[in-house]
Amino acid sequence: MSTATFTRERSGWALPRFMTAEHPFPWLAPITVMLLVFGIYPLAYSVWLSFHKRNVVSRQLDFAGFHQWARAFSDTRMWDALETTLIYTFIALAVQLALGILIALLLDTDRKGYGILRALMTLPLVVPPAVTGMMFLLMQDGSFGVLSFYLYALNLISPAQPILTQPVTALLAILLADIWQWTPFMVLIILAGLRALPKEPFEAAAIDGASGIQTFLRLTLPMLRKVIAVAVLIRGVDLFRIYDYVYIISAGGPGTATETLSFYAGRIYFTGDFPYAATLSLIVLVVLIGVSNLFVRLFKVRF
Amino acid sequence: MEPSRAQMIARDLLAVLVVAIFMFPIAWWALSSIKPYSAIFDRSGPVYIGFKPTPDNYRVTLLGVSRVDIGMEQGGEAAGVIKGGASSYDSRQSLLASAIIAVGSTALTLVLATLAAYCLSRMQFSGQQSFLFWILSQRFMPPIAIVIPIVFMFRDLGLRDTYTGLILVHSLINLPLAVLLLKSFFDDVPREVDEAALIDGATRWQTFGRVVLPMVKGGVAATAVLCFIFSWTEFLLSLFLTTSIRTVPVKISTFVTSTATEWGYITALGTSAIIPSFIFILLVQRHLVRGLTLGSLKE
Repeated sequence: MSTATFTRERSGWALPRFMTAEHPFPWLAPITVMLLVFGIYPLAYSVWLSFHKRNVVSRQLDFAGFHQWARAFSDTRMWDALETTLIYTFIALAVQLALGILIALLLDTDRKGYGILRALMTLPLVVPPAVTGMMFLLMQDGSFGVLSFYLYALNLISPAQPILTQPVTALLAILLADIWQWTPFMVLIILAGLRALPKEPFEAAAIDGASGIQTFLRLTLPMLRKVIAVAVLIRGVDLFRIYDYVYIISAGGPGTATETLSFYAGRIYFTGDFPYAATLSLIVLVVLIGVSNLFVRLFKVRF
Repeated sequence: MEPSRAQMIARDLLAVLVVAIFMFPIAWWALSSIKPYSAIFDRSGPVYIGFKPTPDNYRVTLLGVSRVDIGMEQGGEAAGVIKGGASSYDSRQSLLASAIIAVGSTALTLVLATLAAYCLSRMQFSGQQSFLFWILSQRFMPPIAIVIPIVFMFRDLGLRDTYTGLILVHSLINLPLAVLLLKSFFDDVPREVDEAALIDGATRWQTFGRVVLPMVKGGVAATAVLCFIFSWTEFLLSLFLTTSIRTVPVKISTFVTSTATEWGYITALGTSAIIPSFIFILLVQRHLVRGLTLGSLKE
């Protein structure tokens, strides 16, 4: 094999330096082409759309400058959707992280049978989100849903005001589906982190008579910092783009009470106003790039 | 200080309780799939065991038995059951379509991502972290933002409603996470391995393909499973980009018709759709748990 290479080089067949395997180019070219064509092109097209306006008469797109952007910033429904998205993201992230840490600590033991519990815990992750939405819809149905039945029985809500007809409970209903599906993801990541922790500091802490809570706050949590940062980043990005559960469980309702930014963009899309839908999607993108960039710097996340 | 026996038992009970709570929706769902209609829609309270199990929902969705035939078998009861449109509930085509798309996009993602991940793990070049952040930022796009341009683009390229089209789009969404995961697996293999192979006369491509890649095959399998599951469960893009090819999640959503929500068929197909993914995830769980930290455990 090496002789073949030599002959080729001598007969003037040598590839240019950037084409050889020692240069990143041939390794990264395929993925770059793919991401440029199917990633950057849609982005560029969205940006182009956001500077245009539908002409209802000619059915063409006319250049409109910052019209769509000005429209978005003065659109109270956009601000409401942004607020809902932020509330949703923060509550879901906080609950999933807290539950994720607690459940991971609970399941992190070599005792018999816990392997099965850990395996079962991954089950929600393989359910298609659209199915998860329907699963909770079936349980939250106002007349025959099992969850509704028990909430009625406990007098927590009244049958006259079913879960999905009230703004607050409807948002909680969507959050519940999200928390059910994605807490296991946090558990998985944090378990991986816990399993990789060195034993010595914990033995030392035990000898010094540190309490369980002290050990957790002073040792475990700081050592898991990076793992938690990565988990929060991945989940945070997905939460902020939330679409599926809203679409299936509440369709943004009652009214527009549970409308998130992605969902609002989708609704506009269905009206055929593509320039404005693209503008709203770009707002989601800009916020995400800004916040995640800050996050990566703040927590020194390295990939 | 060793925990007492009572504390151990309390912990076991709590662990079982927590997992049981998380299992409840799936159990309820699977239970509903073998219930007759009257038991699903019982308004007097949840039905756990007091019903006669029926395979009818699976016969319609997985075996393509017509719901009218089933109505005939049941005689009188049928009258109340057959309502709603004449839309097809036979989901065999959808399962096949989903499988083709999921396998295709997983394969494409793996080829592109292993090449990139090996390079990003082994070579230093300026702008490397920025390149990685750029790859990751592809995930920031709200699906709806990708949908609009891609619908137009696919129409021009003739990719709308094709397997190729969906395979490309699902790969696009999977690539960022696949690259990060695979890079963290490659990072676990010491560089000395590469250097030894190169000194022994292997080319860079041989070192990659015959030496390093086999060492991370567990990680590649875990990544493949994640890609498969994502594609198998993806809803929004499949909904917009296809009309005749219906992937399983889209097919399920068509069971909600204007006249009725076919909970029996929805739960039957939903339960069937979960099984392959769960088997795959169990097979690679060990590698997955390690890989999901994306190398953040290393200092």
